[in-house]
Amino acid sequence: MKSRLTIIAALTSIPLFLTGCSTGGSDEGSIKLEFQTGRLASDAIQEKLVSLAKSYEETHKGVSIDVIPATQTYEADMKVRLAANDMPDMWGTHGWSLLRYSEFLEPLNNRSWAKDMNPALDTAMKNEKGEFFALPVDTDVSGILYNADVLKANSIDPTSIDTISDFEAAAKTLKSAGITPITSSGKDNWFAGNLTDWLAPGAFTDTELASMSKGTFQSEPYTTVLQKIADWKKDGFFNADYSAATTDDIATALATGKTAFVFMQNNLVTNALTFNPDAKLGYMPVPAINGSSKYLIGGEGLAAFGVAKSSPDKDAALDFIDFLAEPANESALATAAAGIPGLTTATTDLAGLTSSYDEFVASDNYPLVPYFDRVYLPNGMWNTVVSTTDSIISGQANPKDAVSQVQKDFASLYGQNK
Amino acid sequence: MATSPRTQKSWRINLLYLPAIILFAIFTVYPLINGANLSLTNWNGYSADRSFVGLDNYLRLFTDEVFRTSLINTFIYGFGSTLIQQILGLALAVALDRALRGRNVARAIIYLPVLVSPVVMGTMYYLLFNFNNGAFNDIVVALGGERIAWLGDSGSAIAIIVTVNSLQFVGVSMIIYLAGLQSIPGELYEASTLDGATGWKQFRAITVPMLQPAFATSIVLNLIGGLKLFDIIKVLTGGGPGYSTNSVSTLIGQTYFENQSAGYASAMGIALFFIIAVFTLLLNTALNRRRLDLS
Repeated sequence: MKSRLTIIAALTSIPLFLTGCSTGGSDEGSIKLEFQTGRLASDAIQEKLVSLAKSYEETHKGVSIDVIPATQTYEADMKVRLAANDMPDMWGTHGWSLLRYSEFLEPLNNRSWAKDMNPALDTAMKNEKGEFFALPVDTDVSGILYNADVLKANSIDPTSIDTISDFEAAAKTLKSAGITPITSSGKDNWFAGNLTDWLAPGAFTDTELASMSKGTFQSEPYTTVLQKIADWKKDGFFNADYSAATTDDIATALATGKTAFVFMQNNLVTNALTFNPDAKLGYMPVPAINGSSKYLIGGEGLAAFGVAKSSPDKDAALDFIDFLAEPANESALATAAAGIPGLTTATTDLAGLTSSYDEFVASDNYPLVPYFDRVYLPNGMWNTVVSTTDSIISGQANPKDAVSQVQKDFASLYGQNK
Repeated sequence: MATSPRTQKSWRINLLYLPAIILFAIFTVYPLINGANLSLTNWNGYSADRSFVGLDNYLRLFTDEVFRTSLINTFIYGFGSTLIQQILGLALAVALDRALRGRNVARAIIYLPVLVSPVVMGTMYYLLFNFNNGAFNDIVVALGGERIAWLGDSGSAIAIIVTVNSLQFVGVSMIIYLAGLQSIPGELYEASTLDGATGWKQFRAITVPMLQPAFATSIVLNLIGGLKLFDIIKVLTGGGPGYSTNSVSTLIGQTYFENQSAGYASAMGIALFFIIAVFTLLLNTALNRRRLDLS
């Protein structure tokens, strides 16, 4: 009887032990690298990474690279793996390579291609020692996306929208013509968060921004931003399906001219053109709420890849990153990202966005400011930015209460990250 | 000193508890202790750095309006769903306890949603309530109305969440009450009929008191489920608009992973554990006392 019980107890325990086991590690003489790209399977960058990994494997016998696309919970999954000290050999970091992941990533500033990094990325991607932790595929430069045909049909010239009043006048014209001026979403709610992220740099003075960086929250300019969004909501500038619109819905609305403006990075354009390849789309600088010069947003690699400091095959992973940084490969990746390359040695095809690039970026007339949440808010605030902006657009909170929530989370997370 | 055969038998039987105790210790006790430990720190959920902050996270709960809203929502989900499930479940049980044609099919259909994942159930209702292509809005438009953002307003979204949760799990209450009804001796109804009692009087004087154990089981089970509600909220609203439809469970997920405040999220988890424990104990005690008073 006793032995039977022992067998039962042992059999019951087997699944527990098996759960802790997983495939991994390398066979003797071969190296298997895990690459969590952070890109969805359908993403053009993911497809390009898969083909580049295959090319690399062909010339590096004994090395195999598992290029794994992201799930919808990529960031949360990565946090769990970091906490469990079970990091992939390489992973996609987008703008968080410095603030969130630098503790776990190998510095890349000693790589041969490091000197070619686009200087526009320095603020967001380098620390005070000049170290950076990810290979940037692109240099993100964003503004307000627009449908050029819709603006032209309503006699609106995007180059002459210099102030927030100009923008609001254009929005009123579009609304009276039956076009939704701004499309955003509370479902794919980063669109809502972007509104605050895009408008905030133009609502704060340099002194106020410096104060935010040092941990003192400035509620007045933040209230101005949320009040502006509340006013736009009151004026009927947002889409009726705000609560339910998906990324595809927004891309379709932009491509088909149902909406004129979207506050989003340029990679939405690739998506929009699949719904209407003939759409004429562009992006323009963001007018400042406080009347200062209009500006572009970005200065980080939206697609950027780093190597785990603790990877047992760190040298092989670094070698693959070097391979990605080669001009031809970096150019192919930057084209897939529809962005300006992260390295000056690469080139890109901006397709339909070339005229916006020439007008607003190459002319060098407009300052490029970093993402507000990345530089002036503590790590972990993005969810608060999104939820509070969503509260305003959906009418669940007033700007004063929303700012109060932002202020509380700011204080808490600033203290935590100190 | 030799142990008696009875003691040996008892020891062997107790050994059979071991796998359950091990699993309970690993998957319940250890996470609870670890969660309590984390709740006293300011850990961000992934970094090696963390500092002891004492009871700060617990004190913050008292001033956090988002937590307060989520707690109120949790009570609405818990008590609202429980109330609807008891009323509907009892009514269905009484109706389907009679000799009706097709009653077994009806019981199976009502119970079927319990077997479906809440994520699937939520997705089905999301498609019905969706603004753009939802069936309800198509009906509204066909009738000449304007599309309605059913899930875009906290009031209607909370009502939808409560309704969907209630409809999914009403089968549990129905089965519990059916079992209770079938254990009531038929003689009681026969005797009361001879005394002149009819439908409603019999229901009040015999059915309800005799169902007290079933009430206790059904209410406690549904209340715990409602207070822990997570999946349906995630699928239907994601806690939005803003924070307005979050339960404490969904807020814990957001706070832990998105706000990167694992310490504070753990404090919320421990608070929710005690809230559910206290309410369950109070309710159980009250219902048992009532049952003893009636017996």
